[in-house]
Amino acid sequence: MSLLRHWLRDAWWILLGYFIILEAALVAAILYWPKFNENIPAIANMVPFPALQRLVESVEVDGYWPYLAVQQWFKGCSLFGLAAAAFLTSGVVARDADQKTAEFLLSRPLSRKRVLLTRWMAASCLVIIPVYITSITAIWISPAVDEKLRWSDVLLSSTFMSLFLLMLVTFTAMISAMSSHQLKAGIILIGFILLNFAFYLIQEIDEISLFKTVDVWVFMNIKAGNFPWITSASYVGATIIMLLIALGVYSRRDF
Amino acid sequence: MIRARELTKTYRNTPVLRGVTLDVSQGTIHGFVGPNGAGKSTFLKCLVGVVHPDSGEITVDGLDARRRSLAVRSRVGYAPAETSLYHRMKAGELLDFAIRYHPSPDLQRGLQLLEQLEVPSRRRVGELSHGMKRKVLLAQAIASNAPVMILDEPMEALDPEARRIVEDLLRKEASSGRTVFLSSHDLYSTQRLCSRVTFLHRGRVLRDGPVHDLLKGIPGRLHIQFRESMSASRLPSSEGLEWSGVDINWQVRFHCPLEKVMAQIASLPIASVRDDGGHLEDLFEDLYQAEVGVDS
Repeated sequence: MSLLRHWLRDAWWILLGYFIILEAALVAAILYWPKFNENIPAIANMVPFPALQRLVESVEVDGYWPYLAVQQWFKGCSLFGLAAAAFLTSGVVARDADQKTAEFLLSRPLSRKRVLLTRWMAASCLVIIPVYITSITAIWISPAVDEKLRWSDVLLSSTFMSLFLLMLVTFTAMISAMSSHQLKAGIILIGFILLNFAFYLIQEIDEISLFKTVDVWVFMNIKAGNFPWITSASYVGATIIMLLIALGVYSRRDF
Repeated sequence: MIRARELTKTYRNTPVLRGVTLDVSQGTIHGFVGPNGAGKSTFLKCLVGVVHPDSGEITVDGLDARRRSLAVRSRVGYAPAETSLYHRMKAGELLDFAIRYHPSPDLQRGLQLLEQLEVPSRRRVGELSHGMKRKVLLAQAIASNAPVMILDEPMEALDPEARRIVEDLLRKEASSGRTVFLSSHDLYSTQRLCSRVTFLHRGRVLRDGPVHDLLKGIPGRLHIQFRESMSASRLPSSEGLEWSGVDINWQVRFHCPLEKVMAQIASLPIASVRDDGGHLEDLFEDLYQAEVGVDS
């Protein structure tokens, strides 16, 4: 049994759960669209936070695309993707430390770089591929509610969201490389995300929230042909830096 | 085959290895002995790159274990003391996983060893007993076909029959040219198995040498059961005989030839005599008692 296969065997049920929830939430959201569209003014009055009110207002003005962006990428991928990242990536190093299997694993003729990169890549793929697959199904389902989506808009939006998730997967891997408890690494990610979401809901400080970089306006810009290259490059840069830190910490760690 | 020079390692201001120097020759079975916390496992982990030493040299098959750890690990079949393993894998799968990254593994041999050691290869590792996990670890170290086997407490949790089988296996491997370096608390097994032993205490090498040389300096010991209750005043004390015991059960330690002792005790009302001397256990006691004396 190879390192990758062993890792995937422990992860497949998380992947399955993540995919089913993401797809089910998307299908439900799309099928709910006609009813939502009819009641936008009433819903806008019920939404408590200004940040969320702005999301609803954007739907009122621009229709289906911002609605889908909020449902699929801002809400679905952020929420469920982050949960999947926490489950799948928090254990890349910390699980072996936690379960005392590190000595057995690291005494094999396998470099630590290979162990970490194999698991990081597997976790990244498992988090990202469902984002693309479920987003593509939105193209096929949308005609059922008399809406049409362009492939390019959906794929570019999915790519942007994937880069965001990749950064968070790598952040979790970095925490995992430093930690001796898988749970601790997962909790740190969830705590970090909750803090960022709290910032997002406070109008005065929402600019410092990570969620500001993936809110509905970004996807509106993508549809308008303005892909957020600088933000994407920042995600990639942060991913590379955190991956290098994770590799550095892991290679020097004693078990 | 294995060479360490002045190896040091400190964990959170606690020195665990304090200048360990030793050599393990090719094709030998070398024992590494010491009480809990002596630093044995840390030293073995340094050899396979799980722990990074602070200073000193350490080589396996001429390769620097610090700089060329991956190359070293491909030459080492390692069985850790820790038996926490991937519990969802089956024993056979774990064996396959453990050896597949070695240059010339022999999975078939590993599966045969599992059978010989009565470990069900299709049972999940989490369902195996401690002793069975130990056997899986040993089987993978052998089946890795690596020229060096490093075994941390290989005899722990094994029943006497399994111990005998394992000892035979290790002898066979050593006779085929493989080097076996093992740590153990079982000094009787170590004495039967090893040609050379290194004693470690608090991160320092206390004694190192061929087993037969080490045994030369060990006092003899007899367990004597008398037919009647004895007191110390009735027992001969010449020739440096050291008596300990009570009532009818006594033990005598001596440095002179056995014949001289027998001549001295011949007139005593002896029911039975058992020769219990010349063991590494005695050397271990002497060495560590002396160390404790020095420390206190």
